[in-house]
Amino acid sequence: MDVIESNIDTSSKEYSDNFKHYELLVKDLKQKIAEFQKGGGEEKIKLHKSRKKMLARERIEALVDHDTPFMEFNPLAGFDMYNNKAPCAGIVTGIGLIHGREVVIIANDATVSGGTYYPMTVKKHLRAQEIALNNNLPCIYLVDSGGAFLPMQDEVFPDREHFGRIFYNQAVMSAKGIPQISSVMGSCTAGGAYVPAMSDETIIVKGTGTIFLGGPPLVKAATGEEVSSEDLGGADVHCRESGVADHYAHDDTEAIRMARNIVENLNRPEKTQLDIKKPEEPLYDIKEIYGVIPKDMKKPFEVREIIARIVDGSKFHEFKYLYGPTIVCGFARIMGYPVGILANNGVLFSESALKGSHFIEICCQRKIPLVFLQNITGFMVGRKYEAGGIAKDGAKMVNAVATANVPKFTVLIGGSFGAGNYGMCGRAYQPRQLWMWPNARISVMGGEQAANVLLTVKRDQLWRKGKELTKEEEKEITEPIQKKYETEGNPYYSTARIWDDGIIDPIDTRLVLGLGISASLNASIPDWKPGVFRM
Amino acid sequence: MFINYEHENHVYNVTIERKENFFFVTYNNTEYKVEAEELKPGQLKFKVGDRVVKSIITEGDKEKYVFVDGAVFKVKPVELTGFKKKKKKEMGDLSSPISGKVVSIKVKNGDSVKKGAVLLVIEAMKMEYLIRAPYSGKIKKINFKENEQIEIGQVTLEMSKKGG
Repeated sequence: MDVIESNIDTSSKEYSDNFKHYELLVKDLKQKIAEFQKGGGEEKIKLHKSRKKMLARERIEALVDHDTPFMEFNPLAGFDMYNNKAPCAGIVTGIGLIHGREVVIIANDATVSGGTYYPMTVKKHLRAQEIALNNNLPCIYLVDSGGAFLPMQDEVFPDREHFGRIFYNQAVMSAKGIPQISSVMGSCTAGGAYVPAMSDETIIVKGTGTIFLGGPPLVKAATGEEVSSEDLGGADVHCRESGVADHYAHDDTEAIRMARNIVENLNRPEKTQLDIKKPEEPLYDIKEIYGVIPKDMKKPFEVREIIARIVDGSKFHEFKYLYGPTIVCGFARIMGYPVGILANNGVLFSESALKGSHFIEICCQRKIPLVFLQNITGFMVGRKYEAGGIAKDGAKMVNAVATANVPKFTVLIGGSFGAGNYGMCGRAYQPRQLWMWPNARISVMGGEQAANVLLTVKRDQLWRKGKELTKEEEKEITEPIQKKYETEGNPYYSTARIWDDGIIDPIDTRLVLGLGISASLNASIPDWKPGVFRM
Repeated sequence: MFINYEHENHVYNVTIERKENFFFVTYNNTEYKVEAEELKPGQLKFKVGDRVVKSIITEGDKEKYVFVDGAVFKVKPVELTGFKKKKKKEMGDLSSPISGKVVSIKVKNGDSVKKGAVLLVIEAMKMEYLIRAPYSGKIKKINFKENEQIEIGQVTLEMSKKGG
């Protein structure tokens, strides 16, 4: 395969300015993540440990194979929400390896509001289950939760994608042969009791694990019966009398060993085979990406410079190099896995959309995973382009992306604006995973453009009444809109609300994609059946 | 690693992979196992099969001179992809790559500019597009004013080549 030749001058001032700027972005990201990983804070951690319980992250570390990476999802869920009272939304989720096979792990963090479910906790839990479902991965629930966060019941209980969906998913996955395993290592109250009850196999820890539909205070209020938690729903009750749990553990460590034993005996089918080669590092230092991305969002950059730093050996077999040059398509390998890459190199025109659709068709036909490197300010607008049918060409690409059933992965490496987000496999197009770089921005259009659109509308309304806007009045309309777009387009605003699976340091992109592809091979790749393309 | 070398107008495609102390060189579908030892800077000893070759390599501007057994081979690495070529083509154009607005003009009539200097900035679809000097020369005529609309393909300004 051909090697991408880099044209970056690493000794230029521009490069070093960009690099320094990006280093700050990454430092800021790491600080935010570290801060959130403290969970409910020192006091709560002390209390948790005094009960001889391990912390959520300690449990996960003990559960996964020694010295293997745990790919965590949404470490910044709930950021700047709920007065920052729910770090990580009180739940840790991700993909880890147990006995060499990928599993999805969902662990409540009881130091955060007793592990209760805030709206974002529910969303994060459901997203992890969705990943398990799409990739055919067993689910391990490390349960330690007081159930729904009662003050926000209207946002966690009644709707389709709320609390009840957790158990629905468990049933549906179990029916599909995706193992559901629970380890009860704290409370499992009310709705939470259904997590272990709905599992195929359940472990409970003596002394700390409890499962009941109504806790002691509720029982007393309802019937007057006085009973301790342990007598009501402890390990002895459920392993000897009720049969709600199957395995009796004396402490967290034993419970984790049991969970590993369960996974060891799942008899998982072989993974999907791809033509895998030995991984190779890129020829260029991945960290140089810091200097490639311009400080100023308005400045375009050559996306091949990014591809060169992500793919094995910087080797890239480019497709339709001379046609629709604002989208770069080609074949490469990431950590040894074959991938088809679509990357933006400017505004999408009709030709770029057609080229993208053609390329997706090829990858679906050959069953090659797709990687979208998204940096898109939109489809080109203007009379000439509308008359040229850009809407139907864009629709072809959106159609191809939507129906493509090879594993899809999206990384937002720059802007993600408007319909470009759809064509480049945004969240709604169900990529197996969607990651953001800390410089990324996402909104329906740019703040400046949105403000001007709304200003024009307002001006026309007033004009019909024979009035005009003064400069000050114009500013009063445009400024708050620009500000709103700036706030909401920020990656932290996005990741807090789980519009993505997390913000990553660009240098981790290869690893994250490699792990994602590896996990995706647990599911089979069906034949492609596209929709009707408007010609 | 994939390397293309030119020698006497012929391009040789060679793949080299390093495994521990050996280099595996593939040329024309044949793989050669090569042991290399640096005797001193620029002087190498190769062992290919039973054959031992000593050679001296000197670096030219773009090419390398390889002395083997009294013969001199002049070899030159060849561009691997069309990537670099494209850059050159882009430089040759003073027309607008996109329909948009001229937001800033960095030069005026009669200015002498160096190759690669930014002459004009066009903004469209939230991005800035820079028009750079394709060669060193003098600005002859600027066809647009700041804040004026420009269509794709329209020539932004005219330049004369240095000395011309």
